[in-house]
Amino acid sequence: MGSSMKKKRDKKKDFQKPKLRLGKAKAKADNFTDTSFKAKAIIVNQQSLSTSAPSSALQFSHFLSLASSSKSETQRRDALAYLTSQISTKPVNEPLPIPATVILPKLLSLLLDGSTSVRTNLLKLLALLPSGDISAHAETALLYIRAGMTHLAADIRRDALLALEWLLTSTSSNTNDPVVSCPGGWVKTLNCFMTMLGWAASKEPTSWTSASKASFDKTGKMFPQQLTVLAHFIRAGLEEDQTGSIHYSGFGFFQLENRHMMMPSVPNAFAHLNLFGRCRDEEGEMYVDREDRQRVFHRVFMDAVEKGIERAKKEAGEAGRAGAVLQKVLHDGMADFDGSD
Amino acid sequence: MGKKRVGALEKVDADLSNLQYKIRRDPRSYNEEFSQQYRQYQTQRDIFLANPNTDATNGIVSFKDLIDFVAHVADCYLEATKPFPEELKEILTLHHAELESELREKIVGSLVLLRRKDIIDSTELLNTLFPILVSTPSKTLRTLLYQKILGDLRTSNSKTKNHKLNRTIQTALYNLLTSDRTSQKGLWAVKITRELWKRQIWTDSKAVEIMKEASLANNEKVIGGGVRFFLGGDKEREDKEDEVSGEEEAIDMGKLKHQALINKKTKKKAKTMERAVDKVKRDRKKKNAPHPLNFSALHLLHDPQGFAENLFQKHLQNSKSKLNLEQKLLVLQLVSRLVGLHQLTIISLYSYFIKYLTPKQPSVTSFLASLAQATHKFVPPDALEPLIVKIANEFVSEASASEVAAAGLNAIREICVRQPMAMNDTLLQDLVMYRKSKDKGTMMAAKGLLSLYREANPDLLKKRDRGKTASMGIKSGAIQQRRFGEEDAGGIEGLELLEEWKESERKRKRAERGLPELGTDEEEESSEDEQDWEVASNSSSDSGGWINVESDAEIEISDSDDDKPSAKRVKLDKTVVKDSTPAEPEDPAAAKKENEDKISKLATTKILTPADLLKLQELRNSAAVAKAMGGNRIQTARLKEMMARHADDALTADQIEGFAKLQKNTREEKIAMAREGKGDRNEHKSTQAIRRAKKDSEGKSTTNKEKSRKKNFLMTLGKAKYKQKRSLVQTKRVLQGHIERAKRGGKRGNIGM
Repeated sequence: MGSSMKKKRDKKKDFQKPKLRLGKAKAKADNFTDTSFKAKAIIVNQQSLSTSAPSSALQFSHFLSLASSSKSETQRRDALAYLTSQISTKPVNEPLPIPATVILPKLLSLLLDGSTSVRTNLLKLLALLPSGDISAHAETALLYIRAGMTHLAADIRRDALLALEWLLTSTSSNTNDPVVSCPGGWVKTLNCFMTMLGWAASKEPTSWTSASKASFDKTGKMFPQQLTVLAHFIRAGLEEDQTGSIHYSGFGFFQLENRHMMMPSVPNAFAHLNLFGRCRDEEGEMYVDREDRQRVFHRVFMDAVEKGIERAKKEAGEAGRAGAVLQKVLHDGMADFDGSD
Repeated sequence: MGKKRVGALEKVDADLSNLQYKIRRDPRSYNEEFSQQYRQYQTQRDIFLANPNTDATNGIVSFKDLIDFVAHVADCYLEATKPFPEELKEILTLHHAELESELREKIVGSLVLLRRKDIIDSTELLNTLFPILVSTPSKTLRTLLYQKILGDLRTSNSKTKNHKLNRTIQTALYNLLTSDRTSQKGLWAVKITRELWKRQIWTDSKAVEIMKEASLANNEKVIGGGVRFFLGGDKEREDKEDEVSGEEEAIDMGKLKHQALINKKTKKKAKTMERAVDKVKRDRKKKNAPHPLNFSALHLLHDPQGFAENLFQKHLQNSKSKLNLEQKLLVLQLVSRLVGLHQLTIISLYSYFIKYLTPKQPSVTSFLASLAQATHKFVPPDALEPLIVKIANEFVSEASASEVAAAGLNAIREICVRQPMAMNDTLLQDLVMYRKSKDKGTMMAAKGLLSLYREANPDLLKKRDRGKTASMGIKSGAIQQRRFGEEDAGGIEGLELLEEWKESERKRKRAERGLPELGTDEEEESSEDEQDWEVASNSSSDSGGWINVESDAEIEISDSDDDKPSAKRVKLDKTVVKDSTPAEPEDPAAAKKENEDKISKLATTKILTPADLLKLQELRNSAAVAKAMGGNRIQTARLKEMMARHADDALTADQIEGFAKLQKNTREEKIAMAREGKGDRNEHKSTQAIRRAKKDSEGKSTTNKEKSRKKNFLMTLGKAKYKQKRSLVQTKRVLQGHIERAKRGGKRGNIGM
């Protein structure tokens, strides 16, 4: 009987109400589980802790990668701004933390970026880069500039022109400017200009309504600028190579060919032989000499450009002035061309 | 005026789809915009080619979108976009492994789009896609390319067969298979060919030739694909055709016209109506179109002998062959199928079977089926005899399981159907004894063998087993033993039946018109023939919806005093008379001569119409059935089924296994079988009661046992009294009968097994 009495008491206990008292902790529930634990160290994932702050070089490369591959446009813009400030504030003689030859290929694709602020910042940054390193990357840069020039968005087209101008100024000190002599640099870029200005269509006869829409829509504001850059470009391509002629005169008659015997001063000096690349067509060909460029220009673009200039001059104003400049450049450049192919 | 809402992309002027829409409406005006975009495409392409494996989509407009755009408007500017397809092909061919998947898919899609716009032709497209299909490591691209290739082949063959294209592709596939026999790439050739065969796009011998090469390859998968095609490709094709023809639901034109009268008349509804009319017309045309001649793949083979020999030597005899048993069985099935169908001679094939003919061999019934399939009447009996003896020794004995014995007997029967001379009399007499077996499968198999030899060669049977017809046939000389390789003199089977039927039909018609029964009326005949030319018209008119019920034949024969017997009766009359009284004292040679005369008369003087041929088939079948009338209904049905089986159809393991399945049921099947017919166990009721209730609900009657159980007690008293009144002799007889039965082992006895 005793055990049964005990059981009865136990059962009763379940239904008794626990007494709560002030100042005492509440009784734990029956099914309470203790989840606290002890550990010597806690490791939190994805956190890099170091005692020293990152070096400026490391930070530079971090922001460079951020600028080139971040998905958010504000992040790209800020990263570019950071890079710009870093480069501009460094002492003059100190080299860049990362050489320009590494920076350029990473950033050039931003020329086609959808955000205007990113592109503006990029142009600022490009302007700060030392001009000596740029000429080696002229071909890559031209690829993106051409893509920008034919872009559907007008803003990108405008910025591409600015970039081209930057490229021309920074490489103009070289003999034989790589912008016009690299593969595809001359003909393809001129083609882009033609489509941009709407002069390409003049090859085939069309009705007068479709002619030169460029000056009517909102690209019209850009028209003078386009003409100016084109003039710049043509001057780079067709201008008499003064440095070269001085070079020749410095040596005597016997050393006329001396230049070819010396170590080449440009990278990839035999690129025009195209030993390892794929076959190039007329557009992609390298036009190394001024005469080559003149010949191609005369054959393909001369008529369209002259017609275009006529039309631009008729518009007068800023466009007319730019047209006049272009005409002068053209005249100078083609002055000694005899016209025989 | 409200402000025009512009999309985000339109704001920046980067809306390619908008431009595309505009260009499609007026290509000439947007020439300049297009050329700008085309230039953009070119520059993007340059960027892409400079480093193809990086993703260049960080701008607003990606390369992918530009390709899509140019492909869509390429037909508006044919001159400007001339190099475009070439460039796409080049990108795809050179960089397909490293391209980003979406761009890759877009390029493939654009190429197909250009093909649809007829800017490039199919050959060009397929020649680009096919090498990539074979070489690419990406599975998604492979599925895409496979789809596109098939789709293009289908569209270019949809109106008329594009023979030139087919030939090019077939040659490419053939070369793929023959160039490297060990590689698995050949599987694509097999897949494509099989699919096109199924859809009846390729039905020529060249496709079969491709599959032939596939089955002679060195790669197991390719071999399997090729062999499976020959074994199942035609069936698949038929199924597909049935499926397609079954899909079309009929349009109720009357209903549509009625609706058109009542409902509101709109342009849309008029158009739907027009389309429906068009469809009905097309369907009717399709129905009336002559059926395309589709030869089976096995018939389209060149040099089946060489093919079968090669297959056998390469995959079966060769000890280095890496095929597993299942694949070997497939090859064996194909070889035996070829041998049986084309009556080829591969003597070493039969000795190959010997070692597989034991009951322990996995899937032995397939081997047995293959062996039977490989037998035909030109196989020397010497090659088959040891096999039959082996089967008899291994399978058919009292000690073996009943299923095994049944399978063995079935196999022997199937072999002997094709070559009856492979049997000797002692063995046959032994095997025939199994017809007394208690197992149904074995009994049926033995009976089948018996009935076969009653027709084929009753001399081998014991006298009492021969049966009435056969023994009388032997006596009269009507049944003679066939020699090896003997063939019937040419003729059309059952032609004389047709002639008889025609004669009676003519008589009946003349009688109807009140003309004398005999005499010629040529004009009438010819007009009748014209009427009967079409199958459909004939079948509806002559049978008049009545079905010939065979079991009534006996009764109808008895009252033959009728003046004008109907066509049916006459026919049956004659056939039965011919069967039951073949013992006319006529010299067989004379009979044969007369027979020949008959044949030449009908088949050479008249053109047999389709209706005639149909009737001929019907008569043939009914004659065969009437001949077998002595047997029970099941036998007749089996006979019918055997006749229905075409000579081209394959023999399967199921047919060898017969009634008994060799493999045991699984547990689930057993449970399901036990549950069957017991209903649900919701209420407490005996099994018997549940069964009874079920039968009642089906409207079925009670059994005798149940009736006796429910019988009124008083009514049974009389019988019970009689039992006590039996005489001693009667009681003794009853008891003795009981003992006798017990000794025999039940009513049917223990003879045999």
